[in-house]
Amino acid sequence: MIALRDLIIFAGLMALAAAVIASLFPVREGPSPAPACSDCAFKLTGGYWIRQYGNYAALYLGTREAARYGWAYRADGRPLRIGENATCGTAMYLWVVDGVAYVSCDGSPPRFGRDVLGPKLPFVDVRIDSDWRTCDTTIRFEANLTEHYVVTVEVYDEEGRPVASATGTIPGSASFSIPMAGVYRVHIYAPPILDEWHTLTAQVRISDLVRARVFTSNDTQDLRPSTSLKIFDLTNYWKRGYRSVVVYVNPRKDSFTLSAPAGAFADFLLAWEDCPTCDSTYGALYVDEAWRLTFTQTDIVLTHVFSQGGYWHEVYVLDGQTLNMPGKKTLIWTWNKGGPKYSSYTVHWFSTTVWLESQDSAMNARATFSKECSWG
Amino acid sequence: MWSLAYGLIALAVVAFVVLYAAAHAPNFKAVNLADQLYGAKEWLAEYLPSFPRVDVTSRFRVFVNVVRVVRANATAYVARQWVVFPVHLPMGYRLERVGENVVYQVYLNVTRCGYVALSRGEPAVLYEVELKHSLDQLPWLEVYAAVPRNVTQYYGWLYGYYAAWRRPPAVGLDPRVGADVGLVDYVKAEWALVHNATGGVTMLYVAAPPSSLYIVVVDYPLAIPLACPR
Repeated sequence: MIALRDLIIFAGLMALAAAVIASLFPVREGPSPAPACSDCAFKLTGGYWIRQYGNYAALYLGTREAARYGWAYRADGRPLRIGENATCGTAMYLWVVDGVAYVSCDGSPPRFGRDVLGPKLPFVDVRIDSDWRTCDTTIRFEANLTEHYVVTVEVYDEEGRPVASATGTIPGSASFSIPMAGVYRVHIYAPPILDEWHTLTAQVRISDLVRARVFTSNDTQDLRPSTSLKIFDLTNYWKRGYRSVVVYVNPRKDSFTLSAPAGAFADFLLAWEDCPTCDSTYGALYVDEAWRLTFTQTDIVLTHVFSQGGYWHEVYVLDGQTLNMPGKKTLIWTWNKGGPKYSSYTVHWFSTTVWLESQDSAMNARATFSKECSWG
Repeated sequence: MWSLAYGLIALAVVAFVVLYAAAHAPNFKAVNLADQLYGAKEWLAEYLPSFPRVDVTSRFRVFVNVVRVVRANATAYVARQWVVFPVHLPMGYRLERVGENVVYQVYLNVTRCGYVALSRGEPAVLYEVELKHSLDQLPWLEVYAAVPRNVTQYYGWLYGYYAAWRRPPAVGLDPRVGADVGLVDYVKAEWALVHNATGGVTMLYVAAPPSSLYIVVVDYPLAIPLACPR
């Protein structure tokens, strides 16, 4: 009997609960009611629409007025004209700010504030590093970007011919190498965020000259006693595509014929005279020692071309340099005396010094060559 | 035992009803523009020292959330000798933070600055600052000038950051705005806004004491330091 009583009570409670639930259910799947507020945002479904009147905007559900606002605007900030209606398909998003309504059909919020900054790009930091030994250049791009952009780097020489190009990404890096010494224009191009030109100077700087002068073409003068070493810079001839050049070095038009080196960064002919007063008939000036100094991409190669004369000669180069070591003066060639005779000598470094010495020390000459890459 | 069961069932029924009613009741989200604006400015104030610094004007023109700086040399007295080290002087800002409904943008750029004599005969550093603002009102605009108690001490303090970071610290910005509060006094600077109806640019003129290191333009809570290379 207890069970029956309990069942009756349980059934009664269930009926009560069902009635309560049924009363709370929105049985009609129709429009949602419009809340009244002055600073809020909500979504309305059903047949809501807004009409702008002369002094207010009314939100209608069908024909029934649901709410009134000061004015109605589209979400992009355009106000409704008087008599204009705003309707949406399935859902209407409404922002109410200070009693003014902003209508959006796709849920994009209205934004307040003018654009005063103009074109806006995310930040891209361009850092250019050249390897001090090879002039290989790496451009690093750091940016606060989520997606990657393709960047193209193009390198043009003095006459506007493309000599190297590279592609990379931003953020990321792009690398290229400079084949020969010269002044280059570098175009970094990544539409729409980057379009920059830079100048890259890759050169061999000749410094610390003692009784030496640098020429870029023939020189047949007798420049003694101030100059005993003539340095002929041949790089530009090779860059222009010459297969070989003939270099005249003295008044008698003695010449050296040199053919184009393969893959050289810079190329020089060193012509030296060992005696300040001899050869007064301009017999054989600046031919006592002739050496070729070629910068390859990584090293410096000295090649013996010619030697003559009655005095003894010594040719030294600075070799053995590393990051922390200054290197030492190394004898690589002797003439008319005992000693090393390397007809070709390689310095595994980006700079060196050449000494040419004879028993008449008045003509001893010296020059320092170093590869330099700089950004301007 | 049965009553406990009834109680539990009744509780479950009530909970269901309440939850269902709450989920289906009309609800709305509050829109508070003031809070959004404050949040945008607070975010900018927090990240201001970490924004990239550019010294190329063409980049300053297109990037957003950058600081334009000018490199200058400062002298500090460190370990009984004078050292010269580079510092960055903040000269311009392009800042943007978009809240849900508020676009907060501010553009500040020092166009001219230098020593002048005020009409009452007092010397001052006059800053002419271009000011563009996405919202027309600047309700809290205040301008302070940072006057160092001891310039040598200030640059000695800044040199510590240079030594630690191996990059030039920015005057007024590093390590964060207001970190030098023990070394400088912030005094209220005279300022005036001049609107140009045709140019669309507002000029902010600030007269700071001649000994001041930099000025701080405050759109509370965002404080923006600006310096003058001289």
